[in-house]
Amino acid sequence: MIRVRGLRKDYPGCPRALDGVDLEIGRGEFVALIGPSGAGKSTLLRCLNGLVTPTAGEVWIGDQAVTGASSDVLRRVRARVGFVFQQFNLLRRLSVLDNALLGRLAHASRWRSLLGWFEPADLAKAETILTRVGLEGLGSRRVDTLSGGQQQRVAIARALLQQPAVVLADEPMSSLDPALAHTVMELLRRINREDGITVVASLHVMELAQSYGQRIIGLSRGRVVHDGPPASLDATATTRIFGSTAA
Amino acid sequence: MSRGGRWAAWAVILGAIVWSAVATEVSAGRMIEGLPFMWDFLRRMVPPDLSVLGNALRGAVETIQIAVVGTVAAAVLALPMGFAAARNAAPPWLFYGARGVLNAFRAVDTLVYALFFVAAVGLGPFPGVLAVVVYTATVLAKLYSEAIEAIEPGPVEAVRATGATALQALRWGVLPQLVPQFLSFTLYRFETNIRAAAVLGFVGAGGIGFYIQTYLRLLNYPAAATVLLVLIGLVMIVDFASSRLRARLV
Repeated sequence: MIRVRGLRKDYPGCPRALDGVDLEIGRGEFVALIGPSGAGKSTLLRCLNGLVTPTAGEVWIGDQAVTGASSDVLRRVRARVGFVFQQFNLLRRLSVLDNALLGRLAHASRWRSLLGWFEPADLAKAETILTRVGLEGLGSRRVDTLSGGQQQRVAIARALLQQPAVVLADEPMSSLDPALAHTVMELLRRINREDGITVVASLHVMELAQSYGQRIIGLSRGRVVHDGPPASLDATATTRIFGSTAA
Repeated sequence: MSRGGRWAAWAVILGAIVWSAVATEVSAGRMIEGLPFMWDFLRRMVPPDLSVLGNALRGAVETIQIAVVGTVAAAVLALPMGFAAARNAAPPWLFYGARGVLNAFRAVDTLVYALFFVAAVGLGPFPGVLAVVVYTATVLAKLYSEAIEAIEPGPVEAVRATGATALQALRWGVLPQLVPQFLSFTLYRFETNIRAAAVLGFVGAGGIGFYIQTYLRLLNYPAAATVLLVLIGLVMIVDFASSRLRARLV
């Protein structure tokens, strides 16, 4: 589903944020991406849907190259890739329903979507998905009146409305308290199991990574230093990822 | 700051106040001598002469009209100017140019523009409208540009990440962040413009100020009192309605 070859990203003042990443992620996998902050987790996820353009290397989603794609192709790829952000990145003054419907923009007729006229079918889909993520009856509420946990669920609803093949989640729970973190992870696990959506989530809490990830990829200084099932994450592996100071 | 430096700063501030007071002939004696005249002035206004209520209301309506047309036209002009004066929306040459022009035009107040436009296009409400437009457009452009610079990039990125086009990202990522603020700023300037338009009549640029000035000149204090009461009522109603509306927007 996702193929990454020789991926490198240099930022001004931060060379080798990604330093030669090779990855292959199959359809329906649930991958937890772990590593210390600054290891390149965000950069890697953002390269996968073209929000960040890598310095070198290739990214494929399905049979479509993301790197070097025209803006038209890139939009088509993004339409099938949901992205859940740490800070939710919702439009705070818009309603829950409007925010969720943004997931239909790439599928809707362009000029109608500019006027905010979404198809009745899209509205129905939105209602269904809002119910599914536990926001039933909150569609008309302004997003900034919701709790953090509810806001992240709106963001997940937005991603699901894209009817994605892949959902990328960048620290989806680190703005939330621990109890809510589990609800959000639970939700991601459900869409992975029930809809067969491939999920790649970066997490900085090891315990969450181990209980939700079927496969753990450890990044350190822009390189993949660990790749395996949760059971393989022993003390040596942890040290390799987080350095000797990690408990 | 050292102790000596602090004393020196206070001495300079105090010196500036005394110097200004002397130069402007501030005098408690003259103020007290003037009190009976102020009292006399107020006493002659009572009771207000309600027979001029028609004129007062006509003036009030014209003031509202000047403020409405002036504010709306200014908002339309301010929109492109606001983007030109936003650091994150315009190239540097345009940004610095636009900022410079806006600052220069904003240094002069509505009433001064009114004098200029009365000389240019003659008496009446039209020069008043032009004066309101010029000053308000520059103020709104500055406020708009600050709102544009404060846009959160995160939600825009999120909309782009759904596969949206640039136009869709503008419509759904940028505009929802800007429109409520733009409307709120514009309403606020409308409130201010009601007050500004009320004095435009003093320089012959239309509105309720014309009647205040005329009746004061004729020493017809009861009539002036009626017009002033209408003006006070007008400002209070507009302030109340506008602040209620703004509270709902943001």
